[in-house]
Amino acid sequence: MDRRKEELEKKRQKLAELRRAREERRAVLESQSNQTQSSGSSSSTNNKDRKAIDDLVALVLGERPSTPSAGGASDRGSDTGSEFTASRPASSNFGYSIPGTPVSESNGNRSSIISQPGAPATPVSSAAPRYVAELSEFQTAAVDIPPLEKVEYSKEIQTSEGSFDTPQKSEEEIRKEIMDEIEMLEKEREAELEEERKRAELEKVEEFQALSEDEKKLILASPEFLEFIDTSSKFVERALNETYDFMKDYTLGIDVDSDENSGKRVKFVCDFWDEKWSRNRSVTDVNWSTKYPELLVSSHNKNPATVNEPDGVALVWNLHLQDRPEFVFHSQSDVLSVMFSKFHPNYVIGGTYSGQIVLWDTRAKSLPVLKTPLSAGGHTHPVYSLEMVGTQNAHNLITGSTDGFVCSWQLDMLAQPQDYLELLHPSHNKTDEVSVTCLGFPDNETTTFWVGTEEGNVYQAGRYDQAGSKAGINQTDTYKGHYGSVTGLHFHPLYGSVDFSDLFLTCSVDWTVKLWRAKSASKTSSQPTNITPLYSFEHADDYVYDVKWSPSHPALFGSVDGNGQFDLWNLNADTEEPFVSTSVGSGRALNKLAWDKEGNKTAIGSSDGRVYVYDIGEIANPKQDDWHLLQKNVSEMITNQENPGTK
Amino acid sequence: MTFEIDETLKRLSSRRGVKAVVILNSEGQAIRSTLDEELTKQYGQLISSLVQQARTTVATLDDQNDLTFLRVRTKKHEIMIAPDHEYLLIVVQNPQEAMQ
Repeated sequence: MDRRKEELEKKRQKLAELRRAREERRAVLESQSNQTQSSGSSSSTNNKDRKAIDDLVALVLGERPSTPSAGGASDRGSDTGSEFTASRPASSNFGYSIPGTPVSESNGNRSSIISQPGAPATPVSSAAPRYVAELSEFQTAAVDIPPLEKVEYSKEIQTSEGSFDTPQKSEEEIRKEIMDEIEMLEKEREAELEEERKRAELEKVEEFQALSEDEKKLILASPEFLEFIDTSSKFVERALNETYDFMKDYTLGIDVDSDENSGKRVKFVCDFWDEKWSRNRSVTDVNWSTKYPELLVSSHNKNPATVNEPDGVALVWNLHLQDRPEFVFHSQSDVLSVMFSKFHPNYVIGGTYSGQIVLWDTRAKSLPVLKTPLSAGGHTHPVYSLEMVGTQNAHNLITGSTDGFVCSWQLDMLAQPQDYLELLHPSHNKTDEVSVTCLGFPDNETTTFWVGTEEGNVYQAGRYDQAGSKAGINQTDTYKGHYGSVTGLHFHPLYGSVDFSDLFLTCSVDWTVKLWRAKSASKTSSQPTNITPLYSFEHADDYVYDVKWSPSHPALFGSVDGNGQFDLWNLNADTEEPFVSTSVGSGRALNKLAWDKEGNKTAIGSSDGRVYVYDIGEIANPKQDDWHLLQKNVSEMITNQENPGTK
Repeated sequence: MTFEIDETLKRLSSRRGVKAVVILNSEGQAIRSTLDEELTKQYGQLISSLVQQARTTVATLDDQNDLTFLRVRTKKHEIMIAPDHEYLLIVVQNPQEAMQ
């Protein structure tokens, strides 16, 4: 305690000395500053502010005179005061606060600071404490905010003053200026190029590092990489497929292979099979694209072996890309019929086992873009037949299911059918319903259509109520000929010099293909009549699953049967036997047949999941008189039919 | 995911006439390759710089144009390059073999 008191005493004495010294110095300074008046107002303000702050400090010091901690505080206060005074002349910027620098200086420092010239002494003499000011440390950052620029412009003439006054520069001068500019730009560009070159060289010299395993894994997992692989591998595969060597040198002699006589043969082009999607699934429908002649779509039913995969699959194949499908589309239930939309290059429509109609978009992913609801409004039975009728601007999708419902849809509104029609035939022995297995529209007809049924009869039906006939099946005419369910119905496509559009072919499980002449819709008979086929083709040994006319040759049509036989018939050549009969694939049943738009190739869907494409070649090219020949033949058939027994 | 990629690669390389398949990133580093490391590295460096050159050529000639596919036919074989913004697929094939 005594020691403490002694120390305190010492400090107080020192303080008193310091105060005295300071006062003297201040007096000196003031006299000096009054004489020189160097900084003028600033010094006075300096003094004023200084005085104010000095007062504050004095107060603080005056506040705590006697306690040891206060002694320390007063020390500190004097220290800060001295420091403060020392820094005062140094800093002329009033933005700075009382310097809150740590007071860790020794007495020695203090004395040195005090010995700085021109430091006025702080009037530490106690003035009456007016209020207690709490000094605290804080730091500010000086921020320079530029004054807000006010953009002003006069609302009158806004062109620059000089533009009216400057005289027209002569052409030469302008040219010269432009040349100079161009030169400058070129120089800049060259400089840049030089830099680039240097940089490129440097890069080459740089150490070339390979990717680490982890980096590779990361990249492999990223979705963009997958997409990239998908598209670029398609490019490369298509490019790899090209068979023509454009660098072929014809001047060199090569052995000429004996040209295979393809006069009477159809040539196998390729077959489409995908390991993942075609395995164990049979092809239920095949359709070529009208927009892109190299694309075709095949639909498949479910794979009984795998449970997790989607039940229905539609694969879009490209003739130039034979290893894998261009697109893979999924559906929840087996897809039984599929077609490209005639009027939209990107849509693929499918009819399913559950009765839903699904719409896929080639631009979207593999799930259907639109689906009809599983409600009573649409179909509740498998949809085997799909047709698009109409024109680009006004078209409908007509679908038929095995419960006798025929619905017409608008493609963008698949929530409910635009129209539905229940086909009933009251004079049926068991039920009213007509079970539709296939449907056909004559070319250019949109309101009347013919349906093939499970019983084997073909009926004509109309979509709307018309004068003379109601919507629905025409009750009076029955095209009776087949003994088993009708599996395929196809009208003769409309083209050429003679109109055969009233001829249609049907095929059925009774091993036959029959040719019929459709009675005009307007001429409905008053009494129930049975219409018989014009001709019956009995060549097949098994169920005939599909029959289709050729789109280019009037007398040519193809049929596929359950034995794996693909028969090509030419009515002008021979009606008893097919023109060409080919065994397709491994002998498994062939489900569907589709001719491409030109009529040169056929796609055959087989029950082993493969789609075989055959090139018909020259047989498909019609000759001039084919039409007339066919007409003659058909009229012969008609007369034979009318007078049976005179064959 | 990687299984599909590997499958695609296998399918590509098993085609008749295909000598090599290499996948690079934009810097020329190999992600997958059927060649040995040394050769892959070489291919990577050289072909990525070639692609870069081709790309700048095309872009300089016409602003809106861009490189989509590159085929280099040589005496012995053909190098097909499918470039992308970030990756590169290179397939080397012998066209005479492939066309038989």
